[in-house]
Amino acid sequence: MSRDQIIFIIFLFIFATINIFLFGSGSLSADWTGFGTFIAAGITLSLYSFLYKDNPLFKFAENLYVGVAAAYTLTQVWYTVLLADVVNPLSALDSESLSNLWLIVPIFLGLFMLTQLASAKFSWLSRIAFAFVVGLGSGLTIPRTIAAKLLKQVETTMQPIPFDLFGLDLLIILVGVVTVLVYFFYSVEHRVASKIGIWFLMISFGASFGYTIMARLSLLIGRVGFLLEDWLVLPLPLF
Amino acid sequence: MKEFLLNIDRRIIFIFVALGIIIPALGSFNLPIKPTKNVRSIYDTIEEVAAKNGTILISFDYGPGSFPEVQPMALAVLRHCFKRNVKVVGMCLWPDAVGLAQQAFDTTSKELGAEYGSNYVFLGFKTGFHSLVINMGRDFHGTFPQDLHGNNTTELPVTQNIKGLADFDYVICLAAGNSPDDIWIPYGQERYKFKFGLGCTAVMAPDQFPYLQSGQMNGMMGGLAGAAEYETLVQVPGTATEGMRPQSVVHLIIIAFIILGNVMYFLYGRQKGGVQ
Repeated sequence: MSRDQIIFIIFLFIFATINIFLFGSGSLSADWTGFGTFIAAGITLSLYSFLYKDNPLFKFAENLYVGVAAAYTLTQVWYTVLLADVVNPLSALDSESLSNLWLIVPIFLGLFMLTQLASAKFSWLSRIAFAFVVGLGSGLTIPRTIAAKLLKQVETTMQPIPFDLFGLDLLIILVGVVTVLVYFFYSVEHRVASKIGIWFLMISFGASFGYTIMARLSLLIGRVGFLLEDWLVLPLPLF
Repeated sequence: MKEFLLNIDRRIIFIFVALGIIIPALGSFNLPIKPTKNVRSIYDTIEEVAAKNGTILISFDYGPGSFPEVQPMALAVLRHCFKRNVKVVGMCLWPDAVGLAQQAFDTTSKELGAEYGSNYVFLGFKTGFHSLVINMGRDFHGTFPQDLHGNNTTELPVTQNIKGLADFDYVICLAAGNSPDDIWIPYGQERYKFKFGLGCTAVMAPDQFPYLQSGQMNGMMGGLAGAAEYETLVQVPGTATEGMRPQSVVHLIIIAFIILGNVMYFLYGRQKGGVQ
């Protein structure tokens, strides 16, 4: 038996023993809530077991999550979109709600998309739906993105710079924008401005990396908190 | 020893990180949490909304993967709103946020005696992303004729006077993805000119600062630290405040490892042509 197999069996034994104790002592209630906590703790530990090495428990938990998330999304889309906005309005058609008949158009566009998967003979129909989506998406996205993400940002970067702390902020932003733009201008040899641009880029990467560490730790803290308080039911704080 | 320090097994770092989280989580020492200007700005705006008995929209755009970071923000903001009798409308651009948002509404409404329909309404998930936001701006009742429970939005006290997004006194997006900068700001805030605040995961936070600078949003809670600051403002310490202890300790551990790694690299790594 390999070392990994021994570790795997010891892990399962310890997990089972702890749960028998928790259920036996009444710390975990013998109902669906307690069962849910037991399952959540098992899946959490299985996922973190990847830190040691890739293993079957991790694979099981990973695939289970994907399956559950897909099924949950499907039910949400069915009840709040397809049933509420398509099936119910069409099934309750009467003389006053005849305008709901226009729903047939998006239904057919949606079905046309599926012809890509269903039949090679009719797959050309999907082009109509894709053309609609691309046309609508471009028409909506291009002007809004230019207005919100480019023009507005340029406008605030080009403000008059006052002689105070706010002005210092504006000056740093202005220098940062200009030098980074120079860095990404490849037609001339890079001199001082682009080197300053590299410094700005490095600082922004550092800030992003710091925030990423904070984010990942927050998730770990959340899971550890769940294991200590909800699963092991420890009376915190202990000291 | 030198070789060991130059090539520390990552699992040793994992053990240090694990201890850095578990030991402070078991203890009770407190670290000061000082709310920053960006977080306070959201708090102050909700206070202004409360003064005029207004309504805010909260878009829950996150999933279980970001639950520990964003859910404390949702709880803190809802507690603030219900405490100050601000009417709240909840919605989701992410389908997997529905259960989490419902949980946040249930917890806080029970705590503070908020009533469904007169204090808050939950619309649930609706697909469409940018077209959904545009339609909400034009015709709120047409976009959401019914709430999650099948009540007509034209009849519920919280939503009956809302004609479009501009009728909300404040819109807050609690996000773990691209919904603030790719959906709410270009298609909502820029078009309908409502006040906009953001609570987001720490990973997203650096990319959102330009929108603060441009005034497209007036406040931001970034990550668990942002949530802890808001909990401090509403004076209800929760999981985010608790999380600041291990977070601070582990940050110190990581800084120590970074310094150690760099010292070892400059002392020996470069001489040998790099770390193995």
